[in-house]
Amino acid sequence: MLYRVAGQYKTSYQADYALFPVRQDAFLLGIILIMAFVVLPATANDFVFRALLIPVLIYALAAMGLNILTGYAGQLSLGTGAFMGVGAYACFKLVTIFPEMNILVAVLLSGFFSATIGMAFGLPSLRIKGFYLAIATLAAQFFLVWLFQKWGWLYNYHTSGAILVPNIQMFGITVSGPTATAMAQYYFVLGVVALMTILAINVTRGRIGRIWKSVRDMDIAAELVGINLMKAKLMAFFVSSYIVGVSGALFVFMWRGAAEAELFDVQLSFRVLFIAIIGGLGSILGNYLGAILIVALPVLLNVVPRALGLPISSSMVEHLNTMTIGALIIFFLIVEPHGLARFWQIIREKLIIWPFPH
Amino acid sequence: MKRLMKAAVATTAILAAAAFTAPHLLAQDSLYVPNLSYRTGPFAATGTPLMNGQKDYMTLLNERDGGINGVRIDYDECETGYNTERGMECYEATRANAVVTQPWSTGITLQVLPRTNVDQIPVLAPGYGFSPMADGRTFKWAFNPPSSYWDGASMLLNFVADGDLSSLEGKKIALLHLDAPYGREPIPLLEDYAREYGFTLLPIPVAVTEMQNQSAQWLQIRRESPDFVFMWGWGAMNAGAITEAVRTRYPMDQFFGIWWSGHDGDLAQAGEAASGYRAVSWNVPVPDAPIMGEIREHVIDAGLSSIGENEIDWVFYQRGITMSMMLAEAIRTAQEEFDETVVSPEQVRWGLENLDISEERLEELGMSGMIVPFQTSCANHTGHGGGWIIEWNGERFERVSDHLQADRDRITPLEEAEAAKYAEANAPWPMNDECEL
Amino acid sequence: MDLLGRIFVKPFQDMAAAPDFLIQVVWEGLVSGTLYALIALGFVLIYKSSRIFNFAQGIMVVFAALTLVGLHQMGVPALLALPMTLVVMFFLAVAIERLVLRPLVNQPDIILFMATIGITLFLIGFGETIFGGETKRMITRELYIPAGSTIFEPFGGFVAIEHLDLTALVAAILLVTSLLVFLNKTRIGRAIRALGDDHQAALSVGISLSMIWVVVWFIAGIIALVTGIAWGARAGVSFALEIIALKALPVLLLGGLESVAGAIIGGLAIGVLEKLFEIYWGQPLMGGGTETWFAFVFALIVLLFRPQGLFGERIIERV
Repeated sequence: MLYRVAGQYKTSYQADYALFPVRQDAFLLGIILIMAFVVLPATANDFVFRALLIPVLIYALAAMGLNILTGYAGQLSLGTGAFMGVGAYACFKLVTIFPEMNILVAVLLSGFFSATIGMAFGLPSLRIKGFYLAIATLAAQFFLVWLFQKWGWLYNYHTSGAILVPNIQMFGITVSGPTATAMAQYYFVLGVVALMTILAINVTRGRIGRIWKSVRDMDIAAELVGINLMKAKLMAFFVSSYIVGVSGALFVFMWRGAAEAELFDVQLSFRVLFIAIIGGLGSILGNYLGAILIVALPVLLNVVPRALGLPISSSMVEHLNTMTIGALIIFFLIVEPHGLARFWQIIREKLIIWPFPH
Repeated sequence: MKRLMKAAVATTAILAAAAFTAPHLLAQDSLYVPNLSYRTGPFAATGTPLMNGQKDYMTLLNERDGGINGVRIDYDECETGYNTERGMECYEATRANAVVTQPWSTGITLQVLPRTNVDQIPVLAPGYGFSPMADGRTFKWAFNPPSSYWDGASMLLNFVADGDLSSLEGKKIALLHLDAPYGREPIPLLEDYAREYGFTLLPIPVAVTEMQNQSAQWLQIRRESPDFVFMWGWGAMNAGAITEAVRTRYPMDQFFGIWWSGHDGDLAQAGEAASGYRAVSWNVPVPDAPIMGEIREHVIDAGLSSIGENEIDWVFYQRGITMSMMLAEAIRTAQEEFDETVVSPEQVRWGLENLDISEERLEELGMSGMIVPFQTSCANHTGHGGGWIIEWNGERFERVSDHLQADRDRITPLEEAEAAKYAEANAPWPMNDECEL
Repeated sequence: MDLLGRIFVKPFQDMAAAPDFLIQVVWEGLVSGTLYALIALGFVLIYKSSRIFNFAQGIMVVFAALTLVGLHQMGVPALLALPMTLVVMFFLAVAIERLVLRPLVNQPDIILFMATIGITLFLIGFGETIFGGETKRMITRELYIPAGSTIFEPFGGFVAIEHLDLTALVAAILLVTSLLVFLNKTRIGRAIRALGDDHQAALSVGISLSMIWVVVWFIAGIIALVTGIAWGARAGVSFALEIIALKALPVLLLGGLESVAGAIIGGLAIGVLEKLFEIYWGQPLMGGGTETWFAFVFALIVLLFRPQGLFGERIIERV
């Protein structure tokens, strides 16, 4: 009923290919945006901002970067964590070398560093495929993290080997560093993530996106129809690592406030991969759904026993949590291997024909 | 499908509701003391006995005295698994009503440190964290009593040199350390000493992923044959290093650890073969201390503890007890000063800054000889109580030295310089100008 | 010039100057290489028969070792605990086949890969709930595994060979030999290889997929137990062991995902090379700690020249 498409006529191909062929989709998105920009910030406290909203957005962005590579261009990567690290360290260096640089510019520029390095590590993808490539990206993962530890210049020779985010103002409001308010950071992250999402949607819907999809589905066939594989794959690595790098910069500057090299270890890569896969490979929406499940759920699971006053020790909660997450991953893979985004599609289709079953 | 959806919506609603009401509801007349514990993950082996000790001392206060001056302690653990990400989450989840935060890992401490100035909540990091935290003028809210890592490094050096540092000339000292902020902590100080006294410092990092596979590091030690090996290890790394040392036949009497590398559970794996291994520690287990009898009576026999068999005399369990004692004493000091029973974080900060753990006070607490006496002040947030050398005799650790003191004259300028560097990198950094030197 | 000397000349001079030390380095490399090879073998077996990239092999090592030690702590005699652990590993294999693999038959590789990461997380939580997180001592003495060591004194130096490592090496050789016999001479073994060659064809001649999967996961469990005992004896049994599974991945790159021989030779090669690189190049020139990445980078370079690994089956691409 609510999702009735009857009466929405399309008179041109243009209209059929539009971003929102169904009016209700646009309406729904509007509601979500109002929620994100107005309602949530008005009601959330610091805990909700810092433990739920900001990490969900940042992880969703990282997963979106990975999704472009894995979901659209079909190149499995396990080096996401390290590329986030490149973005973070690049941003740190930019901010400390050019203190007067606008932080937004620094964040957006730092993506180019990780994009370049990502492209370099993407070179083997021209020769190797599938799991071999996945393990090869692990080389980037371990090598870069080692480099973050050994190369003192990267963290300005700080004794602890960690990078610490200074207080940075943008238009008179402190947006990063210890004195920044959670709300300012949230709006900053939301703005960047929204911008990147628009970019990603348009890239993946356009010519480049179609090239990537054809490479993903069968690269030899794609080559035969005249697609330059090298260009397509390296471009995928470039765009993907750019987004991942930006998310890494946000990760440290807008959320964590300090970072050591170990933060960007292989566990982080796996986490982002989980989000992309649970959310749905080859989908932009899925990254958000996946991030909500993988990032927010454990936080919520942690507070439930506490809120209900159950006498379970914190370590037991953690054990149960790990088990639950593992079981949930298997459960979702079994129920819907194409991810939560696919889940939403099914629901949407059902809604469109509701109340009829077929 | 529908049912599934409904269930999902319902669960989400409950979870969301829980999240928004999450910050701990404060019961009347109690003090909320959260601890960012780690009883899981690769470092659980060393974390668990410490957490047990911390918990049991607070339980004892509640059971025996009804809390501190009549206010019950609401001790609570938030599990981090030594993971910085979970650590921040726990910090946010617990800080609203907490009077203190105990971040545990050096990584979490580094992240929490700048936030505490804004959130106005004291950080208690006994024997860990960041050595320059001793400078109370820069780190108004952070405390790392009774000794910092730099104190530990200095004491070890003085001990191996038998008080005469110039005898170290031409010697070679290897620093086997965890490749993390914690492990890198002593390097600047040791380098400074090496320059001054002409010995060679050889840092040997052990990556977290290689903690249980240290043969390359020990081959390097065999090749370089250093005169002494100092270890800044943690979790599974300690046991790995000690078994490798036994395998490489490195003489145990030249092998020394910081206090976090002196854990009964780690040494027990090598057993007899590791006897002679020594560590510097600011606490030693005293099995017949009156406080231990009371804990046995009120906590362990009452079934309120979760420690395992024979763990009561472990260095780490008793260290946990002394850590909670510091916090309890700070609360008590604050209560007396401000004449209030339910003290605020600001007041607990004052309490931590005016801790006086003297021999007499330890006697009253029934903890004589369990921890070095120390005293903090506005400018000195560590107290620099020094420490003892403890030695593994194949079954347990024993105290084998007199009370050692760190070379404060050398450390203080370094601390000030590092603290200033930190403040500069984080400008504008609020300084506490009330302190008099 | 000086740098070139330090890269290309000095390390070899060092090797020649202390041959006993070189032998020790190679031996240590061989020992860790054996363990990498064993973990890689678990991966290969499962990949060959079911095209699943089993990330859970690492946690299975931990789980098997913990079960063994845990049972012993409950008072079961060590020699009885061993077969009981095998029973537990068998039920684990059945459970994984029933609850995870069967519902996911025919899904894309990456989905199955993710499912094994799900299994990993589940087993970590489950294991910690049951056995607790502390490091446990491996019951080597109770299992009659010889301790002590033999010392040789070639070239005026010394080389120490731990009996423990020697036992691990012998056990690994026995295990691999019996595995090869099993794969080549028995009905089930041949069925496993048939599945590896061609799923559809194997199914059509009546090979039961679920039975084979249980068998394969059980064998992976046995390998995990042997690995767990060997590694646990060196460094204690704790969940930190899980991380070493990652070290087996470059072995797979080098040896190929489908080759048993590749896993063994690749494992030994990487074990020795990474140790040599770390000792003679990594520590003097790069500040050490190169073992975390050397194997990956080395395998990557090899792969650029041989995309299917040293022993992998040639990749033939058809449209």
